Amino acid sequence: MSAEFELSRNITIGQYLPTDSVVHRLDPRFKLAAFVIMILAIAICGTYVGNLFALAICIAMFWVSKIPLHYGLSGVKPAIPFIIILATLQLLFYGEIARGGTVYFQYGFVTISSESVRLVLVSAMRFVEVIFLSSVLTLSTSTTELTHGMERLLGPLQKVKFPVHAFALIITIAIRFVPTFAMEMEKMMKAQASRGADFGTGEWWRIIRRTKDMLPIIIPLFNVALARAEDLILAMEARCYMPGASRTQYTHYKANGKDYAALIISIFISVIMLYIPW
Amino acid sequence: MTSPIVDVTDLSHVYMQGTPLAHQALDRVSIQVERGECIAIIGHTGSGKSTLIQHLNGLMRPQSGKVIVNGLDVSDPKVDVRLLRRQVGLVFQNPEDQLFEKLVGDDIAYGPFKMGLPIAEVKERVEWAMELVGLSFDEMKDRPTFALSGGQKRKVALAGVLALRPHVLVLDEPTAGLDPRSRNELLQRIRRLNQEEGLTVIFVSHNMEEVARLAQRVYVMANGQIACEGTPRHIFGNSSLLQEHHIGTPEAVDILYQLLEQGYAVDTGSFLPEEAAAEILNLIKR
Amino acid sequence: MTADHPIIRVENVSFSYKVNQDQQIPVLQNVSLDVYPGEYLAIIGHNGSGKSTLSKHLNGILTPKTGDVYVNQINTRDRERIYEVRSQVGMVFQHPDNQIVATIVEDDVAFGLENIGIAAHEMRERIDASLEAVGMSAFRHRPPHHLSGGQKQRIAIAGILAMRPQCIVLDEATSMLDSYGRQDILAVIRKLHREGMTIVTVTHHMSEVAEADRVVVMEAGQIVLQGTPREVFAHQQRLRELHLDVPDASRIAALVHQEWEPFSPNLIVNEEVVEEVNRHVIKQAEASGT
Repeated sequence: MSAEFELSRNITIGQYLPTDSVVHRLDPRFKLAAFVIMILAIAICGTYVGNLFALAICIAMFWVSKIPLHYGLSGVKPAIPFIIILATLQLLFYGEIARGGTVYFQYGFVTISSESVRLVLVSAMRFVEVIFLSSVLTLSTSTTELTHGMERLLGPLQKVKFPVHAFALIITIAIRFVPTFAMEMEKMMKAQASRGADFGTGEWWRIIRRTKDMLPIIIPLFNVALARAEDLILAMEARCYMPGASRTQYTHYKANGKDYAALIISIFISVIMLYIPW
Repeated sequence: MTSPIVDVTDLSHVYMQGTPLAHQALDRVSIQVERGECIAIIGHTGSGKSTLIQHLNGLMRPQSGKVIVNGLDVSDPKVDVRLLRRQVGLVFQNPEDQLFEKLVGDDIAYGPFKMGLPIAEVKERVEWAMELVGLSFDEMKDRPTFALSGGQKRKVALAGVLALRPHVLVLDEPTAGLDPRSRNELLQRIRRLNQEEGLTVIFVSHNMEEVARLAQRVYVMANGQIACEGTPRHIFGNSSLLQEHHIGTPEAVDILYQLLEQGYAVDTGSFLPEEAAAEILNLIKR
Repeated sequence: MTADHPIIRVENVSFSYKVNQDQQIPVLQNVSLDVYPGEYLAIIGHNGSGKSTLSKHLNGILTPKTGDVYVNQINTRDRERIYEVRSQVGMVFQHPDNQIVATIVEDDVAFGLENIGIAAHEMRERIDASLEAVGMSAFRHRPPHHLSGGQKQRIAIAGILAMRPQCIVLDEATSMLDSYGRQDILAVIRKLHREGMTIVTVTHHMSEVAEADRVVVMEAGQIVLQGTPREVFAHQQRLRELHLDVPDASRIAALVHQEWEPFSPNLIVNEEVVEEVNRHVIKQAEASGT
């Protein structure tokens, strides 16, 4: 009850757990590349064994990066209802699409076969794998490294006029302001509650009513955000920022053996996943 | 009549309890405020001031200790929180940020409407609150809020809280960021609310001149505890106290201390410029 | 150093905000002002007097409607050379939170340097030096949202210092800070000024103004009063009409003067009041001694 309005203290986005493992010390460009490769492999791999293998690798990643597994599990927990809903929908409606295999059950449009069961289980596993991998990535990489890595990886796109620097800057600023806005929102909720507002007490189906109740928070928050953005633009301009102008970079990364090794290992794992036939 | 309107006993609060980031924001804090008093709470950023005042209208509930406001027990889970929040008007720092209606009058009416009052009474309250903060009802009620100056917006926000007709007004840094003109005017308004409307006022401030001018009694907070309590005369007149808790001094007091150090017999508790001038005249007009 | 060569020259500047098609609000009217190297200039005036708008003209954030602003003889209208203008005149704003760009302190200090194309190895040196200058070296790897307001403002100053400007403009940079944060910033500013930095500060705090070499008072978009703090604070009546305070030292001195003619009314800092008291007491002792 006393935590009714405590938002900013419970925010965990961009939570970085510095345990100084091998994974932490990887060059963020290579770490990101390896992450993307693994995610792609997970997206493609549709076999039980391949996904069990991937799941095992993901769990091993926690151990290698010295991050307690419960950090990953706490990421999975809020996703469980979603996974269940997805599984139910797949089971009900995908029977027609995922044809083949033995049919276990059929009634009306609902067909449950070994193929649709596989689809459901593999999807659920994929979900968990992606959450685990993303957790390891964000827990072992500071937001600064993440944006730097992304900026460098996307670098080649500059040739086709994609504004890579601006893109990276936007993401950095967005992350930078998450705690600020969490605090702002908390303050706004408290201030309006002090004036007699109540949020989230009405029944959930009275959506219009509940949205209306949120206006005293949303509108000021929006105004504050605009004012902050205006200030920020001024401050950036005052420090010689020009959109589109070329800039130098403070942080430089030098890849070494372990970074290349990480990349090769991730490719190797992906190939195994995709070649497992069951 | 005899019991204090705000009675806080041994209030403690720990943020993020049970994690490595646990932080004791309040540590057995006790304050008593009598009806009609004007109280200042001062102390460093992070000394627990805002955590304390959020307990006064039930935004936070006591983890341990007791908070009783106008007979309502904040620690009682069944207490009527909405009634409590009407009794204690809490004005946050930079309250002008919280305005959300297009028109001044509508924004001030938000609280009374939420109370479910009939239109006529809402209107009466808005008018009353606007006059109290020095905004003409007829002239200002239909003005768009976004077009107001910073000082005016702050008055609108204050009126929005006053329209709840609270018994206790709690303000967090009421004049921070205002220019001298708006600052002086707002201070006068608050003083009048306290003295003429009989409102009990509790305010948090970093500005010692403001504390000196407004408060009848001062609580000094440090590390989540009440470090000391007393009249401004007592607090500013005690140099060891000021130094120990790194309390800034009003400029007038600073001059008097410098004189005291040089061996002059002056009353360092004379914190107003007029009083300090009188002290100096005493020295030179012999 | 030629003292007659201003760093910033503001010549007959007028500026107005456009409200809509046919309505304009004039904010500055024919303002002229020179800022000299090594000077400590304070600009005061109540909100809406145009002081903030004026300060934003000093490094080309705003360009005048009519008139010109020169920074080291470069016209701020010259967009080709705006980098030079802005790296020579740095600016610190009011809200500590709204001027930090990066998620790590040192990256934020680097931001301006990246913009003006400084090489990485030189950046490191400059960041070291400027964090050192504001006393924030220990925080270089911290995320800024854990810092106090005063610390954030020091980071903002470091970000400006790293660009090696000749002048720093503080646009109400202490108004959102508590008294401790404000003292920190003032100490940094004092030190920079001693080392030769030109300072322009827009402020409401009269005790800050007392430290300046020169004060400019603004009202309705015009400079209405100008001089040393002593000269300006001598106009107590005029300042009151402009809804501006004077330092308590000035007020106390004036109050004593009212009752005791020989006591000087033109005092602006606390120490001067104490000295003046000393002078009178000694004089009286001598008078009664003879």
